[in-house]
Amino acid sequence: MELTMAGSREARLAALRGRIAAIEAGTRTPTPVLPFGDPAIDGCFPGGGLPLGGWHEVTGAGLEDETGAAPAAFVGLLLRPLVKTGAIVWVARRSDLFAPGLFGLGFPAERLIQVRTRDEAETLSVLEDALSTQGVAAAVGEAEAPDLTAGRRLQLACEKRGGFGVLLHRRPYGGRAGKGGAVSGSASFSRWRIGPAPSPPPPDDIGLGPPRWRVELERCRGGRPGGWILQAQEAGHGPHPFRLVSQLADHDVAAAESWRKAG
Amino acid sequence: MARILSVWCPNWPITTWRRRNPGGKLADTGPLRACGAPPPGGEEDGRSPSSPSGGGGCVASGGGKSDRDLPFALLISEHGTRRLAAVDEKARALALSPGQKAADALALVPDLVTADHDPAADRAALEALSDWCVRFSPAVAIDGHDGLFLDITGTDHLWGGEAAMLGDLLARLARWGVPARAAIADTAGAAWGLARFGTHGGDDLAIAPPGQQRAAIQDLPVAALRLEDAAEAQLPRLGLHRVGQLLALPRAQLAKRFGLSTTLRLDQALGQAAEALTFRRPATPWFDRLAFFEPISAPEDLARVAGDALALICARLEAEGRGAKRFEVVFHRLDGKAYPVRAGLARIGRDAKRLTRLIVPKLDKVDPGFGVEVVTVHAGAVEPLAAAQDRLDAESGTSLDETLAPLIDRLVNRLGENRVWRADPYQSHVPERSQVRVAPLDPPAATGWDPARPRPVRLFKRPEAITALAKVPDDPPIQFTWRGRSHRVRRAEGPERIGQEWWRAGVGETDTGPGRIRDYYRVEDDAGGRFWIFRQGLFGTEDAPKWWIHGLFG
Repeated sequence: MELTMAGSREARLAALRGRIAAIEAGTRTPTPVLPFGDPAIDGCFPGGGLPLGGWHEVTGAGLEDETGAAPAAFVGLLLRPLVKTGAIVWVARRSDLFAPGLFGLGFPAERLIQVRTRDEAETLSVLEDALSTQGVAAAVGEAEAPDLTAGRRLQLACEKRGGFGVLLHRRPYGGRAGKGGAVSGSASFSRWRIGPAPSPPPPDDIGLGPPRWRVELERCRGGRPGGWILQAQEAGHGPHPFRLVSQLADHDVAAAESWRKAG
Repeated sequence: MARILSVWCPNWPITTWRRRNPGGKLADTGPLRACGAPPPGGEEDGRSPSSPSGGGGCVASGGGKSDRDLPFALLISEHGTRRLAAVDEKARALALSPGQKAADALALVPDLVTADHDPAADRAALEALSDWCVRFSPAVAIDGHDGLFLDITGTDHLWGGEAAMLGDLLARLARWGVPARAAIADTAGAAWGLARFGTHGGDDLAIAPPGQQRAAIQDLPVAALRLEDAAEAQLPRLGLHRVGQLLALPRAQLAKRFGLSTTLRLDQALGQAAEALTFRRPATPWFDRLAFFEPISAPEDLARVAGDALALICARLEAEGRGAKRFEVVFHRLDGKAYPVRAGLARIGRDAKRLTRLIVPKLDKVDPGFGVEVVTVHAGAVEPLAAAQDRLDAESGTSLDETLAPLIDRLVNRLGENRVWRADPYQSHVPERSQVRVAPLDPPAATGWDPARPRPVRLFKRPEAITALAKVPDDPPIQFTWRGRSHRVRRAEGPERIGQEWWRAGVGETDTGPGRIRDYYRVEDDAGGRFWIFRQGLFGTEDAPKWWIHGLFG
């Protein structure tokens, strides 16, 4: 943000010199990242967190592939720390995203701009437009499967202003299963699969405890995959929206894979 | 004081019929053909010409003769009687007049040619004409069945004066085969009277100089005051023929004898009483115009002149420290068709370059035809801009909106206003009504949603029916089936009782009852999926309660 905001010629030149120096030294300028606040997760990423100037794919596990509820809640929480720096644009063909629900997760809805598009291509182009706009901290697009070109364009748009892009894969209701699961844009920085996880009993054993998600990092450029159970952290308890509950063992991930196929 | 131009198209039904049937038997082959399509709107498109021989036993004209020389009338059915609705000059010369029975008229003039009168088409043509008049002023009002009012305050200088503007207007209409009369005065009433009853001996009469309407109208007949029928019929019987005579009378007696409306009409004509005109666009001084010596048609030229026109209006806005939210660029074609292109801004602005970028993608809808001769531009929702501009240099928080505005503008202009929104809380218990869509950059609402009432991330437009098994009545179910998949409930929370807002219209009879009440539960299944389900209806009544799923927490 600072780099792009710097208006004066001198500042731009200084930034350029810095980058050249970094290239010459064989290192890369550390890009701003969005950390999870837990070394077990942040260690999977080369920069210690999800890089801001890039885009990420999020899919739902099982039925969530169609409803996109758990991924939406996860993404909403993930973006919570970014709201301070700008607006969040959420682009979708369907309008079932319910702002009071995001608000309940601690997401300030007054920074959420919702856009309803007519088709897939429009979704992607609006997403690209939003990401390359100053003042947009992050943009989320609900789409089926963008091709490689769309992925490249998204990447360029993210780099332009340091925007954080999320592509939420969502199969249309009644659509063919499997298509959304296909790995599409290799241009994305990471690929996630999100499903719900049973919540812990609340202290008084009445009602529901804080929600939990089964989060699988399937692919991550320059990093390593992983799987965790994450729990929502109240907005008051620190800057990070998630609390690591447990690490998913390898056999857990595999088991989930078979369960998904059966479902 | 405003300057009002009144246009009157005498014998409008005949005029429009002739223009609708240019190839018809009565076609006027003169200037009308030469100009190509008729000016405003495409009335000729899709509207089949009404049959030249009307029903009711009218004599159909023989095909061989030149019908242009025959008298012509339009017919209308009134209580089962065919009557003349309008007559042309030749028929008028033969003493035919509107209102006459068709049978009588045909007895008098056996070779009368008739056609059906179509008032809806006349109205549409008048509306098209009013849209065309946007080239003279954005504020055009339809006046009765055959006239228009234009608020030309501040726009006549673009033509080099009122007389030149009036001349241009009448010359254009005449070229399209629309005989018209027009006048300019301070008030709609005076202009109306002058247009219809002015002698038009010299051009000076058609224009009443500012403040001079009393002198201009005093020689007109009293009918020029738009009086009620009774008063208009009675005044000449008392020897009051001219407006001047009425002006000389004491007002109190005038009002007593002929009603308050008479004095009101007098006052309106003199500018002593206000008169509201219903403009199709609001009257605005923010109007500008570019005319070209050579008509333009190339797309890049259209884009360039759109930019030039916007630059004109933006420069004026800037000079006065104002900005606007809505801009309209209208391309006026040689043949009189007008293509408006609109752009809206989320925040008031006056950046011509940005506006041009919003306008240019929409130019493909403009069909330049034989060329565009005039471009007009007008700005709406004009407000002072200085206050908003100050914030540009302020720290992020507020200036974020300024950087977002261009994006919102692009999206709104491309997708439509209702497709870009921000959700704001609304005071309603009914979940689907607890949010309203507002413009993204509107000031945020003072209150948020109630955190004690958890709401799902995905809310279905319509709740979906589920089959559920509950252990005890009034308990959350222990198992339910949704979309063919069975879920075992692990934990549940609730109920939250939500009543339908019965005072609102539109709450159907069927989807409510004592079951107008919904008991909502948050439930979690074995896998951790969280659902928002509700029970409608109560146990113990004749209808078993129904279960629905309304949303997903994710």
